Amino acid sequence: MNWDAKIIAFCCNWCSYAAADLAGISRLQYSGSIRIIRVLCSGMVHPQQVLHALDKGAAGVMLIGCHLGECHYLKGNEVALARAEVIVDTLEDLGYASERFELTWVSSAEPERLVKAFHHMIARLADLDRGSPVFTAGGAGRLINET
Amino acid sequence: MKPRLNFEWLHGCSGCEIALLNSGELLFSLFQLVDIVHFPLLMDHKYIADPGEEGDLSLPEADIGLVTGGVGLASHLKILTAMRRQCRVLIAVGTCAGHGGIPAMRNQWTAGQTMETVFSTATTDTAPVPDGVPALLDRVSSIDEQVRVDVCLPGCPPRPEMIIAVLEALIQREEQRLPHKSVCETCPTVRTGKGQATIHRGTVRAAYTPGEPLDRMRCLLEQGLLCMGPVTAGGCGGRDVPLCLRSRVSCRGCYGPVRKYGNQLLDMMNALASNGIDYRTIIDRTSLLRFSGAHGRLRPKGERK
Ligand code: FES
Repeated sequence: MNWDAKIIAFCCNWCSYAAADLAGISRLQYSGSIRIIRVLCSGMVHPQQVLHALDKGAAGVMLIGCHLGECHYLKGNEVALARAEVIVDTLEDLGYASERFELTWVSSAEPERLVKAFHHMIARLADLDRGSPVFTAGGAGRLINET
Repeated sequence: MKPRLNFEWLHGCSGCEIALLNSGELLFSLFQLVDIVHFPLLMDHKYIADPGEEGDLSLPEADIGLVTGGVGLASHLKILTAMRRQCRVLIAVGTCAGHGGIPAMRNQWTAGQTMETVFSTATTDTAPVPDGVPALLDRVSSIDEQVRVDVCLPGCPPRPEMIIAVLEALIQREEQRLPHKSVCETCPTVRTGKGQATIHRGTVRAAYTPGEPLDRMRCLLEQGLLCMGPVTAGGCGGRDVPLCLRSRVSCRGCYGPVRKYGNQLLDMMNALASNGIDYRTIIDRTSLLRFSGAHGRLRPKGERK
C-alpha cells in the first residue's frame, strides 16, 4: 500500500470485531491503512468521534456493527443507523465529503464481507483523493489486493 | 500593588464591554481588584494599529489581559499578538473571542464573496467596495486559534459577575470555576420524554398558560421548538433559570459548545436524531453554528475535503 492515509474503523465487539479477528486467523489480507478501534456497540459511537477522526486527518471513518436485529444490546445498531444519516448530512454541511463515512453490518462469521468492505472503502477514498497530497506522497498510489 | 489590566476589543460588537460597564456596583469591584492601564473604550490611549502602518503597538505591560471579539482583520491580529506579548495571563472574554461568534458566520463564504455581498448585491448594486475598507482576513478566527489563551470565558455577553469571579480567582490563585454543563442543567421546564417528531419553523411561539411559573411549562424542544439548550454551555443565568427561557424563548446557543471542541450543529442533529425527531425539518441547519463558526467549523460552501 503506497497510499499513506489512515482509515479509522470502529468495530463493535460482538460481531465485526470478531469478524476482524477471524479475518486475521484466516489470513485474509487487507490494507494497513485500516486502523480498527474496538467499541462495545456501534451505537456508542458518537458523531463527534467521527468528526474528530476526520479533523485529525483520517481519510475516512467506518462504522461497522452487527446486522440489524442482531445487536448484542438489542437496539444499538438502530441508533447507529439513525446517527449515520445525521453524520452523512452534517459532514457535507461542515465541508467534508460524505463519502468519507461508511456504515456497514458484518456478522462474526463473515470475515470476507468485512475485508470486502475495507477494500471497497479504500477504493472509494482513493478515488476521492486521487491527485491530492495524501495520495501521491507515498508514490504511485496503487492499491494492493483490489478485489 | 494591584495587578495591572489591559482590555482590548477586536472583531466584536462592544456588547461585552457594555455589559460590564452596565453592571453597576460590580464595575467598582473591578476597579478595586485591578489597575486598568489600557482600555481604549474608557481611556484615551493612542497607539498604532491601522493596517499598513509600521512600528509596534505601544501597549503597556500588564498582568492580566482581557480580549473581546475574534480576529477578522490584519489589525486585529496585530493587536492580539501585542496583547499576548504584553500580558502575563490572557483571557478570552465572550463567545466571539472563544468561538468566533456572530462575525464568524462569514466563514461560510470567502472574504471576496462577503465583500461583494455587502457592497454590491441587488440592492446596493452599483456600489464598489469603497476605499479605506480594510482588507478582510480570509476567515474569522477565535483568538485561541492565533495565540495561546489561558482562560476562555464564553457568553454573549458573559455575565459581568462571571468576569469578576474569574479575575478574583486568578488574583487569589484559586482554581477557575467556570460552568461546564449545558443550558438544560438549570432549566426548570417539564420534560416528559415524549415530544413532537418534527421541528416547527421559527414563527411558532411556546405554548404555556399565562400566569403559570416556568416549571409548569413543557420543555420547548418537546414542544417542537428548536431549543439549543442541550448543546450549549450553560451559565447565562448564573445558577438560576437561563436567560432566554425566562422569556419563554428557546436557547439560541450564544454560549457556544458545552465542551471546547464540541460542534453545536453536529451535537444538536445527533440529539434530535437519537430522540426520533426528524432533523430534516430544520430549515438552514448550518445556522446552528451561528455562534461558533471559528475553529474551521464553518467553511465556504463548495469547499469539500
Ligand atoms: S453490539 Fe454490535 S452493533 Fe450493537
